Amino acid sequence: MSVWEIVELARHPQRPYSLDYIRRLAPDFIELHGDRLSADDPALVGGVGTWHGRTTVFLGHQKGRSVKERVARNWGMMHPEGYRKALRLAHHAAKFGFPIISLIDTPGAYPGAGAEERGIAAAIANAIMEWFRIPVPIVAAVIGEGGSGGALGMGVADRVIMLENSIYSVASPEAAASIVWRDNARKVEAAEQLQLTSREIVGMGVVEEVVPEPKGSASADYDAAAAALDEALHRLMRPLLQQPSAELLQHRYDRFRYIDSLIQAEPHFGPKID
Amino acid sequence: MAILERHQEEVAIQGDELPEILLPTNCPGCGIALQPDELRAHNYVCTECGHHFRLGADVWIPLLADKGSWQERWSDVRSHDLLNWTVPKPYQETVERLLEDGLNEAVRTGTCTLDGKPMWLAAFDFGFVGGTLSIVAGERLARGMEQAASSGTPYVLVSASGGARMQEGVLALMQLAKVNAAVGRLHAAGVPFFSVLTDPTFGGTAASLALLGDINIAEPGAAIGFTGPRVIKQATYADLPPGFQSAEFQLAHGQVDLVRSRTELRPLLAHLLEMYS
Repeated sequence: MSVWEIVELARHPQRPYSLDYIRRLAPDFIELHGDRLSADDPALVGGVGTWHGRTTVFLGHQKGRSVKERVARNWGMMHPEGYRKALRLAHHAAKFGFPIISLIDTPGAYPGAGAEERGIAAAIANAIMEWFRIPVPIVAAVIGEGGSGGALGMGVADRVIMLENSIYSVASPEAAASIVWRDNARKVEAAEQLQLTSREIVGMGVVEEVVPEPKGSASADYDAAAAALDEALHRLMRPLLQQPSAELLQHRYDRFRYIDSLIQAEPHFGPKID
Repeated sequence: MAILERHQEEVAIQGDELPEILLPTNCPGCGIALQPDELRAHNYVCTECGHHFRLGADVWIPLLADKGSWQERWSDVRSHDLLNWTVPKPYQETVERLLEDGLNEAVRTGTCTLDGKPMWLAAFDFGFVGGTLSIVAGERLARGMEQAASSGTPYVLVSASGGARMQEGVLALMQLAKVNAAVGRLHAAGVPFFSVLTDPTFGGTAASLALLGDINIAEPGAAIGFTGPRVIKQATYADLPPGFQSAEFQLAHGQVDLVRSRTELRPLLAHLLEMYS
């Protein structure tokens, strides 16, 4: 399969979205709304559900299926309110000691005037910083598109995994092409250069694991895809539930602090920390 | 008030003589014929219209640091091509050519004093692949912040950056998390972090450490935002109003605390360093 075919699978209109997984993982899921400041961002769903016998906070980018729903969900591109809602629910989880599952599926944060006016950069910056202080276990999974800061704003976790046909990238192939070539039509070349497939990302040591998808990709069998995701999430979450929170937070810090350690191990990287 | 006045009167607008930079013949702001030496002594701010010329890290360091106080750290940490990036040109070649030109990565960091007060300083260099956040840049920032947090030394950042570096792929994106975690250490340790945003500060740099200062100070007219105007237009086909994403726009929208001329920056930082000591 070519890199671009994987990008197309990750974006496939029939691919299961966050709510398709969450409703299978926790059938009693109750969606909670709003950032408690000004709005509710429909591009991010969040709420509580019982997962393997434990109340768990679920968060996930949500894309729409119909044209109307796609517009309403803003194609899964969050506004600043979405990141504030995520943090509000993270603090909710911390209050009650609930673990957090975060499902990532976004082309990126919304690149529009309204988002800029309401501080999208600071909202993402603050979210990324605050996740390091949430003293409950967090496991994140890239289920489709992991686009740029919009994805990372929901992706600071103790363990991060990717579905086989998902992608994770510093910028969408279109944005990277626009930045590097000033021409977003060169998206295929950009996708190949970016090394954004799950196998490449796991090879760089950025995610812990790639979750295999059913035959014909996750789009072909939602139940089987959800079962595979559930197994991996639960296996990774279980040991985290036993960790004291100080240790959890230190490990989360170290996970990202040394996430490029494979590269840093190269002899020409320079001096070690003194 | 008296202390602020003392700082305004007694703290020089630059720590040392600034190096010469490439300048146009006329000011792009007002068209006046530029007097390079006069401009250089005035922090590269047009004496006529206040246009702020973009500066590299090699200028920011003598501008802010007291003469002879700068001690650069980790300058021998080097970038190299990780993703075998070849188009439109090989990344390894780009990096090596820039090093030959005397630029040392998109962030330089070290310790110095300002008006005798010790601080950590990190300066982005837009001339190095658009001042993009790379593994080396992230590493220099995170190491400095960790040391500042443990020694209780104030941290001053000067940003000028297009965002995360495409040519380092998702590992460049991960630098946002790496540096923000380190900013969290500064906050937890109660160490002041003053962030100076200059033209331009965008993308992953705006969405990470640059807007997380205890006090965010922007230069007049600097373009600051998340998505660059070209990408916004390609994505939404919307025309953007004049002044969109300017420092003044960000002040009006609550993202920065102050918009100050570069010629007031050093006295202001001297005063803040004293207030927050």
